[in-house]
Amino acid sequence: MIKNLLIVIPLTIFICFHAQAEDYKASMFGIKSNGTTMNTTSIQKAIDFIHEKGGGRLVFYVGRYLTGTIQLKSNVTIHLEEGATIVGSTNIYDYNINGPHFSSLISAYKAENIGLTGKGVIDGQGRDLAYTLLDQVQKGILKDELANDRPALRRPKGIYLRECKNVEVSGIMVKNAAEWVVVFDQCENLKIDKITVDSKAFWNNDGIDIVDCKNVVLSNSFIDASDDAICFKSHDPTKLCENVEVRNNVARSSANGIKFGTVTSGGYKNFKIVNNKVYDTFRSAITIATPDGGVIDNIFVDSLYAYNTGNSIYLRIGARWNKGRTGSMNNITIQNMYCEIPNSKPDAGREYEGPVEDLPRNISPASIVGLPGQYISNVTLRNIQIVVPGNSNPTYAYRGIKPADLDSIPEMPAAYPEYSQFKELPAWGFYVRHVKNLTIENVTLTAQGKEYRPAIVLDDVQGATFSKMKYIEPESNKKKQVHTYKSSEVLLKK
Amino acid sequence: MIYKNKITLFFFLLLGFQLSAKDYIATEFGVKNDGLTLNTCSIQKAIDFIHEHGGGRLVFESGNYVTGSIYLKSNVTLQLDYGATILGSTNPFDYVKDKKIGWMSMIFAVNQENIGITGKGIINGRGFTTANNMVNYIHRGVYVDPLKYDRPNETNRPQNIYFRECTNIKIIDITLKDPASWNQTYDQCKNLYVDHITVDSKSYWNNDGIDVVDCDGVVIKNSYFDAADDVLCFKSHSAQHMCQNVVVDNCVGRSSANGLKFGTVSRGGFKNFKVTNLTIYDTFRSAITFAAVDGGEIENIVIDGVRSINTGNVIYLRIGDRWSSRKKPYMKNITISNVYAEVPFGKPDAGYNFEGPIEDLPRNISPASIVGLVENKIQNVTLKNIQIVYPGSGNPLYAKRGLTPAELDGIPEMREAYPEFSQFKELPAWGFYVRHAEGITFENVTFTALKKDYRPSVVLDDVKNATFSGLVVNEPESVGKQQVFPYKTSNLIIK
Amino acid sequence: MQKLFLKICLIIVMSQGALCAKDYNASLFGIKSDGVTLNTPSIQKAIDFISEKGGGKLKFYVGRYLTGSIQLKSNVTIELNEGAVLVGTSSIYDYVGANGIKALIVADGQQNIGVSGKGVIEGQGPTVLEQIAKQIQKGYLQETISQASPALIALNNCTSINIEGFNLQNACGNVIALTACKQVRLAGLKIKSTTNKETKGLVFSKVDGIKLENLFIETVVSEIKSDGLSTNISLVNCQYASGKSLIFKN
Repeated sequence: MIKNLLIVIPLTIFICFHAQAEDYKASMFGIKSNGTTMNTTSIQKAIDFIHEKGGGRLVFYVGRYLTGTIQLKSNVTIHLEEGATIVGSTNIYDYNINGPHFSSLISAYKAENIGLTGKGVIDGQGRDLAYTLLDQVQKGILKDELANDRPALRRPKGIYLRECKNVEVSGIMVKNAAEWVVVFDQCENLKIDKITVDSKAFWNNDGIDIVDCKNVVLSNSFIDASDDAICFKSHDPTKLCENVEVRNNVARSSANGIKFGTVTSGGYKNFKIVNNKVYDTFRSAITIATPDGGVIDNIFVDSLYAYNTGNSIYLRIGARWNKGRTGSMNNITIQNMYCEIPNSKPDAGREYEGPVEDLPRNISPASIVGLPGQYISNVTLRNIQIVVPGNSNPTYAYRGIKPADLDSIPEMPAAYPEYSQFKELPAWGFYVRHVKNLTIENVTLTAQGKEYRPAIVLDDVQGATFSKMKYIEPESNKKKQVHTYKSSEVLLKK
Repeated sequence: MIYKNKITLFFFLLLGFQLSAKDYIATEFGVKNDGLTLNTCSIQKAIDFIHEHGGGRLVFESGNYVTGSIYLKSNVTLQLDYGATILGSTNPFDYVKDKKIGWMSMIFAVNQENIGITGKGIINGRGFTTANNMVNYIHRGVYVDPLKYDRPNETNRPQNIYFRECTNIKIIDITLKDPASWNQTYDQCKNLYVDHITVDSKSYWNNDGIDVVDCDGVVIKNSYFDAADDVLCFKSHSAQHMCQNVVVDNCVGRSSANGLKFGTVSRGGFKNFKVTNLTIYDTFRSAITFAAVDGGEIENIVIDGVRSINTGNVIYLRIGDRWSSRKKPYMKNITISNVYAEVPFGKPDAGYNFEGPIEDLPRNISPASIVGLVENKIQNVTLKNIQIVYPGSGNPLYAKRGLTPAELDGIPEMREAYPEFSQFKELPAWGFYVRHAEGITFENVTFTALKKDYRPSVVLDDVKNATFSGLVVNEPESVGKQQVFPYKTSNLIIK
Repeated sequence: MQKLFLKICLIIVMSQGALCAKDYNASLFGIKSDGVTLNTPSIQKAIDFISEKGGGKLKFYVGRYLTGSIQLKSNVTIELNEGAVLVGTSSIYDYVGANGIKALIVADGQQNIGVSGKGVIEGQGPTVLEQIAKQIQKGYLQETISQASPALIALNNCTSINIEGFNLQNACGNVIALTACKQVRLAGLKIKSTTNKETKGLVFSKVDGIKLENLFIETVVSEIKSDGLSTNISLVNCQYASGKSLIFKN
């Protein structure tokens, strides 16, 4: 008996070791590193083989590996050594465009213990790929309504993992997908660490999208995107994004730096967003939005630094695709934040610059905007400094603080939530509407030029406490910087 | 001998137009070398400026310069320094289809003089992408083209260079690659000097190496060509003009069509050529093809020193009657000497991207051929010091053309066909086939077949005055075989 | 008789059908929205194509469209949807003129033309101006700065013009220059062009019939200038940046 046990134990250890650590070189499967050989079928064979043998790493060494869609399987890690580049085909028919889920260069479905690691690169060649797709649409071979004159369907993402468990993505660089670059959908136990995302190859290129995932750590990463950089979404009304930690990342975007939404069917719970930086970003450093009936609860943001960014904070409840459900947003804390807003377009000169809106509008304030009867509640803003350019011109665009002016600000429940959606707003620092229990503590607002608007406008705010506030604006002696309207229990402490 | 003097005179002219070159740096005009910016207008401005200020060189320093169609003007030389690449835009809409010329090109010149493109830089048309983009536009209905053979017409794809009616042209040292159509065309130009260029021209269909059309006074030397279509291609588009006074020396070429070609369009003609030290290899069709099928005249051609290795055919001389419009073509006084040639059994250009088109078979390996018309014979051809090695092994079960009068007369005349050495399908000789000719001299000629062939080495049909001296035929298992077979032939002398 | 009537009806319907404005997306012509591809020849091809097909709209959607001078042709309207930015190239030799006035969008002797939408025409004025100054200094450009400075829109000898809705910014030369045009409507334009101090908002000469509606103009010097030879001018609700109503002095 004991003898048997003694044999079994090393055997088990051996099997475990074998399953975890066996490395397979790509060349073993006839995968070619010359950049021109199409490797789709050989890479897939390699993955299937390793999967069937109990798992291991498929290791790519320096070279360019051209491929179409490949599907990761359980217990398989793709490891890219420094100098190894997985290069996406520019032929749209090399991708899984007819599958049940989004098409992508690297995909996985219901796989466990998978990974993408190393110091190599995944390059989607997305612009050329998007153009070949567009060409097929223009010739009538593929159908697409060409929203905004671009293919709306089928543009392959870079990485799309769906319903996977225990996923590690670390070290690699992912770039130039034809659409969103790195996407996790309904995954559990995600570890994303030290990756670089360069996502400016085409339109709508989000950096990282985390959709309805549980137990996520995103850390030490750099994201440069032509659409939202770090983006949480909820596509499924029965699911949530929850238990997420975002730490030590740097992001740049021609949309939002950190964004909750836009699609928010289920919602977001228990987020810790700590020590992140946003720069050269067109819209908000952080946007939290629930336009589609989702529930948002317990979001904690600490140490967020934003430079040359079009807007600091935008919190919004809307009613766009909510189908009768009521979106909610409670218990939001933002503390230790510094933000500088420029006078010019922060992402000017980028190839896919954020869309220039139809003007006029003076620089918009940070905004917290619910809906009538649907309050954003328990919002705490603490230790925050925001610097804006000021110099608004009332001839160019004007919104006064008379009741008629304030009431004329549209509610826009069904609109796409964006800090600039209301056009001209009546404040230069904070505009707060339909909010309950707001705490603002130790906040310094600086306007570098004279403003025709007050710093803060509260409209339908039920319960607000201001303490240790500081307003810096040229020629503003005795200017009343806080205007309240239809609000109650507003406490202005020293 | 007259034409030799002309050529000498032409050299003096060349020396005469050494430009008093003032140099202008392209980037100074705002031209960007980032490989991204479309510089068409800025380069054009620079050319115009130099042209208006007494001429000089527009210098492209190391870098990548993207452009669409530009027009070179008198007294301007484009100098491409080592490391400089002119990149053709990949968007066909960035090119002009010149109204007078009727073709698209990257670098045009029309009615200009003292112009040039020099330096160790590269002109890269990026033609494969451009041509495919054009196909896309045509499918979308925004450009009209019938897509014959599923590709845009040659005239709807940009060449790298098209010069028309220009005088004193220098093309020196540059590399020309990847056009979407022909590579470089010089049309009705005078005094063209091409030296030490490299041509890599196999990016798309119809990629000729160099096309010289109706030019007077041409030197092409020390150059290397790799082309999907004809390599050194002399044409005559106009019945009122011709290609004349041409020197080709020390050139090497590979082609998925022909090496040295006169024609196909041959309305005016070709006179006074001297071609020396020509090497042709891995070439699908003939090392040397002269076609007078459109009424043109071919006269006084000297070819001395040819190596033709792994090339489908060596010599093909042909008079036809395709677009002659009642003009009577002729071909006379041709001397070809010091030739060594190896003809392979397989396809010489197999594996190249734009391989020459595989014909409908069967056909055993074709011989070198001289084929005139009944009423219009090819005259005075001298072949001296020639060695041709053939694979032999012509198999009569596969394809057969015997020597009976019925069979020889059964070879079609194909007066109006596109002239190609393989056009008659099976021919009755394995070494040389001559038909409708007058004054043919073979001097010190060796034909070798590596394997036994069912055909004789030489067939003469309707030939007057043929002289063979020093003919050697090597063929295995052929003791007592009659290797020269005359038919309807008079005054045949075999020494 | 009735048959003839039907035939006439049919002909009328068909001819109107042929003239009926069709919409064309920019991407059909390979026009790129990446902000770096110089689109001049492709946009020109698109305009020529649409004009030859009887006219229509060339539609640009959100994105940055880099271009040099494009020439509008009869019965063609350029529609800049919200977020579409027509960006003038900084390469100064990519501009041509109409009646001697260089511009990003030019037209000469055309009729029934327009530019509309909620997008933007961006002149990159400071960069272009810098290039012009350099080229003049080097002696390669033998024009004055004002001759060489492209306007955003310059139309000459055109009839039936509608320019409506969008934003015009950072012109190098003047913003809109009109000479010898008839039946012109400029409406709802937001002009912000203060980067070049010399820039004028609207300049026109010998224009017969011009309606200016709901314009906002912010320039450093004169917002609007006419040589006094224009006739039939109407002004409704136009404003300077200073807040003053725009008053027209002929």
